Amino acid sequence: MHAYIKGIGYLSPQPTWDNSLFLEAVKSHHVNNMYCLAPDYKQYIRPIALRRMSRLIRMGLTSALISLQDAGIDKPGAIVTGTGMGCVEDTENFLTSVAANKEEMLTPTAFIRSTHNTVGAHIAVHLKCHAYNFTYVHRGFSFESALADGRLLLAENAADDVLVGGLDETSEHHYIITGRLNYWKVKKTHNLELLSSKTPGSIAGEGAAFFVLGKVPGVNDYGKLLDLDMFARPESEEILHSRILTFLQGNAMQASDIDLLLMGYSGDVKFDPLYEGVSEKIFPGKPEAYFKHLSGEYHTSSAAGLWYGTRILQMQYVPEVLMKSTTSPGKINNILIYNNFRNEQHSLMLIST
Amino acid sequence: MEALIEKLKKEIIEALNLEDIEPEDIKADDPLFGDGLGLDSIDALELIVLLEKSYGIKIEDPKDGKKIFYSLRTMAEYISSHQKK
Repeated sequence: MHAYIKGIGYLSPQPTWDNSLFLEAVKSHHVNNMYCLAPDYKQYIRPIALRRMSRLIRMGLTSALISLQDAGIDKPGAIVTGTGMGCVEDTENFLTSVAANKEEMLTPTAFIRSTHNTVGAHIAVHLKCHAYNFTYVHRGFSFESALADGRLLLAENAADDVLVGGLDETSEHHYIITGRLNYWKVKKTHNLELLSSKTPGSIAGEGAAFFVLGKVPGVNDYGKLLDLDMFARPESEEILHSRILTFLQGNAMQASDIDLLLMGYSGDVKFDPLYEGVSEKIFPGKPEAYFKHLSGEYHTSSAAGLWYGTRILQMQYVPEVLMKSTTSPGKINNILIYNNFRNEQHSLMLIST
Repeated sequence: MEALIEKLKKEIIEALNLEDIEPEDIKADDPLFGDGLGLDSIDALELIVLLEKSYGIKIEDPKDGKKIFYSLRTMAEYISSHQKK
């Protein structure tokens, strides 16, 4: 079943919260750990409520409110969020407090803010929305799981519209710990030169992207989500390619029907050949774009991919900063978004006008 | 007493993360909850922890909280009369 994209909201290391603009200004980062740019949160959230919200809660609630306002909806029929790590800064603070105070005299605010589902809960409290509320924490499948749940709710007529979001934050500790697992580049890399670095590791990022999906088409829709697929650790590139072709066939499409490929190139020489293989073997000569130089890498970065894809579909052009290939698309009807998180969790999203 | 009230103002602003509120904005006799400063039940728990952490005072009966945390002055009076010499 198709899910119609009614509204979007996205906070990222770029000024993306204003839906009337599309990368007119691009922020360059000279660090390997990119933090989100923040709007004036007081425009969206009352100061008395804001004071108890940490960074990721502010980001999540604000982007959710932007997407709902964009869709013209006060209360969604469901709130479904996905996060790989949840509020890591608050978790670090709470655990530090547990250790420092010998498990005594712990304050409630730090605990409330440290749980994974706290953003979904804050959205519900803010909206006074008692509808279905669920948070998925499945590493690189977290956002996709939320999206799958949202689509099922629409398909089963459990809701007329759903609010679905993917969000994660970075922190100094998180960056250092995952750096030990070789997630990030050793040398400081300019984000806008991510693909030319040709070194192992990516650059860390964060973001909160929310989408209002509905089951009935409307004149102001951005487009529709046709299909979604998730698969873990394909054993070979052939299996990966076969999975993509099967996905297209399932939607009565061939490679030639795709107008733009939007892929999750992370600048890591270990994983980028997977994207290059897909491009060369299945979609030779096809216009190709990427987004992780603007979002950074994190568990729910595919939500950033869906946001960029949705904006491209709406605007019918690809800003130069997103282009990977030299060939630009003409009319953009179908976009295939392919992402993988370190060759562990792979996902495909097909969106269309 | 006045010095303790001024100290409490700063501690409450920090503990409750009261952005945009300065110590002089909080009046010693104004209610902390409801119409006054607008604190809520989670703030009450934070204040209980603050009393224990900073002044070594444990509130044995939660029902007393309403009287103790009515205003900055009632808090300061309670601290003065219960703090170990």
